[in-house]
Amino acid sequence: MLGPSRRRLILPGLVVLLAASVLLGVALGAVWISPLDTLRLLAAKLHLVPRPRSIPESTSLILFQLRLPRVLLAALVGAALAAAGTVFQALFRNPMADPAIIGVSSGAALGAILVLLVGAGGALDAMGVPAAAFVGALATAFVVYRLARLGPSVQVATLLLAGIAVAAIISAVISLVMTFSGQDIRSIYFWLLGGLGARGWQSIVAALPFVVAGIGVAMASASDLNLTALGEERAAQLGLEVERFKTVMLGTGSLLTAAAVSVAGLIGFVGLMTPHIVRLMVGADHRRLLPASILGGAAFMILADLAARTAIRPEEIPVGAVTAVLGGPFFLYLLRRERRAAGARA
Amino acid sequence: MRGPEDSGSGSDLTVRHVTAGYATRAVLNDVSVVARAGEITGLIGPNGSGKTTLIRVASRGLRPRSGRVSIGEVDPYARPAREAARLVGVVPQEVAPVFAFSVLELVMMGRAPHRSGWGWGTSNDWTEVRRAMSAAEVQHLADRSFSELSGGERQRVILAQALAQDAPVLLLDEPTTHLDVRHVVEILSMVRRLARRGGKTVLAIFHDLNLASAYCDRVYALAEGRVVAEGTSGQVITARFVREVFGVEADVAPAGVAGRPFVHLGPAVAMDQVQRALTLRAHVVGGAGRGAAIMRGLSELGYDVSVGVLHQGDTDAVVAERLNLVRITVPPFSMIDARSAEDGRMLVRDAAVLVVCVAPFGPGNIANLELALEAARGGKRTLVLEQVPIDERDFTGGQAAALWRVLRERAAVFDSVEAVLHTAQEILRDLTVAER
Repeated sequence: MLGPSRRRLILPGLVVLLAASVLLGVALGAVWISPLDTLRLLAAKLHLVPRPRSIPESTSLILFQLRLPRVLLAALVGAALAAAGTVFQALFRNPMADPAIIGVSSGAALGAILVLLVGAGGALDAMGVPAAAFVGALATAFVVYRLARLGPSVQVATLLLAGIAVAAIISAVISLVMTFSGQDIRSIYFWLLGGLGARGWQSIVAALPFVVAGIGVAMASASDLNLTALGEERAAQLGLEVERFKTVMLGTGSLLTAAAVSVAGLIGFVGLMTPHIVRLMVGADHRRLLPASILGGAAFMILADLAARTAIRPEEIPVGAVTAVLGGPFFLYLLRRERRAAGARA
Repeated sequence: MRGPEDSGSGSDLTVRHVTAGYATRAVLNDVSVVARAGEITGLIGPNGSGKTTLIRVASRGLRPRSGRVSIGEVDPYARPAREAARLVGVVPQEVAPVFAFSVLELVMMGRAPHRSGWGWGTSNDWTEVRRAMSAAEVQHLADRSFSELSGGERQRVILAQALAQDAPVLLLDEPTTHLDVRHVVEILSMVRRLARRGGKTVLAIFHDLNLASAYCDRVYALAEGRVVAEGTSGQVITARFVREVFGVEADVAPAGVAGRPFVHLGPAVAMDQVQRALTLRAHVVGGAGRGAAIMRGLSELGYDVSVGVLHQGDTDAVVAERLNLVRITVPPFSMIDARSAEDGRMLVRDAAVLVVCVAPFGPGNIANLELALEAARGGKRTLVLEQVPIDERDFTGGQAAALWRVLRERAAVFDSVEAVLHTAQEILRDLTVAER
């Protein structure tokens, strides 16, 4: 953990990192768009400066129709998953919690798929998919929480096992649903792997309200999230209405997860890694940790998506595979460390 | 004087006829306790007697099945958690945050019931936090991670967290368990100041009866979920109380300026051990204080110990009296009379082990050596402690030395108290196994 004076520099540092990630994310691709051009086009778009004639129209098109929505969507999804991970870790009193690991993402995916296949209709999709994803996520979160909870806290092993079991059941249901639907499931399958290329601004518009609401509630609850980390009894002694707060926070985490899953499919480990790494830099206080995680998650997601699009051009790797490649080993490392610490305590 | 039946006033904490417990088990049965503002009220009693449960009930953590809790006129269970937390602060036995919070962050959490939303604290919050941290002596730890602290430091941080709450009622669940002597005294003195000058109501669990005696204005003793005694420490903490409630023999004597009871557990022997050892008695032949360590040691091992024959006023006789041992004494500077010798002979005869200590022998107590020799000849297990040659402590002109030389032929001879006790322990183990 850094000293308090250096910790104050982390938040501004993360803002700079996020801005740099955005500029880099839109710069790289089949056509190079220099950060300077990006800034000039953005300024022109906002009517701050006249349209610069030296930049071709096609560049502007690529920037505003392809790259910028994709980068912004990545940021939005990364922020949502990191915030959800932070909330779940505090709530479960467990640093191994992550929306994908505890099965909440799978629940959201099942909800979304049901609407995509059954509802199958333009207008319904915009609101229906995130809403159904939210219901699926929330139901899964409550089930896993009930299953994993023994005594005052949630044990790592129980949580992981409950999450794996519930996720496996949900995956089986998803497979069944897709098999019997008889429709073209290739696109859904690709979406399940996690990807940000789908529908540009439309996805942003669909997810933005949920993400903003979720992050708003989470930020307003930052102090209370600190209290839950002390255990339910102590939190209550310090004035927290524990049962109600848990319900609200399970709902918030589920909402954030659902928003991310409904536009980007299953992307794992972002919610696990980001709070963990950020906690090492800014400490455990959620009033600092939560905004830092959100900024860090957004930047991380942009860079992961950048890797997904540019690593083996012109092919595109699902971004979920990129985060899994990075996150899987990280997860195993954490698991070993946790188990060792638990062994040392026993 | 008001009883628990009266309604409390100000910020008195009143627990009235409370029955409470968990799923299947009632832990508290019709418990009534009043803790008054400006006083320290102590809760004592054996493990599992319901003390922590009572603290939990009083802190709005466990709703009683029947009965009532009130702070002043307020029923905390009828109010939101935040409001209750502004009335009652708790120092639990242990707090284990899952993440590495700094000490300052943790103490600041104590302000939670006073703050709204996301803020970093008003200047008033910071004043309270600083005050709490200096009272609990944790200012120097402010930026340290809680997980790196020692047990005592953690306990003081949690105390600071509760103090930052600035509630009129303070509940302490064994506040001094992990503290060193200096911090025990400082923290309890600070708690007393909070009560006396700050008018706070303090209800605290004590495991150390002497701390309870020294700091409590009023004491409640719980056993098996009921209040079995209440009053001032002098009224509650007596030898009989310690024996009946804790099952331990102890000396209780008034001590200090205030004459509050002081409990001396010495080589405490739990009563069930005494029962077991009733037939397993060790007889000690001592004198001039040479038997004291042996007597204590044997008691601790679980032996029933008898001693004699001793002269009244001899250090060994005083120790034996303190330990409440069976003892035979004769007046100072007198010879051992025939009747006392016979009593001694009976005690030796029925003892499982005879231990002869490295005492000086003169005409006054040479009868003891004769007794011992007789028993050793009769096949009694005899342990002899010989750290000093008999010639240097023979004041009979050779008579004692002669007896001693025969005795050590018949006995096991040791050169340290530890060695004697070690052998005594093995004998006891053998005998207990044989008994089953």
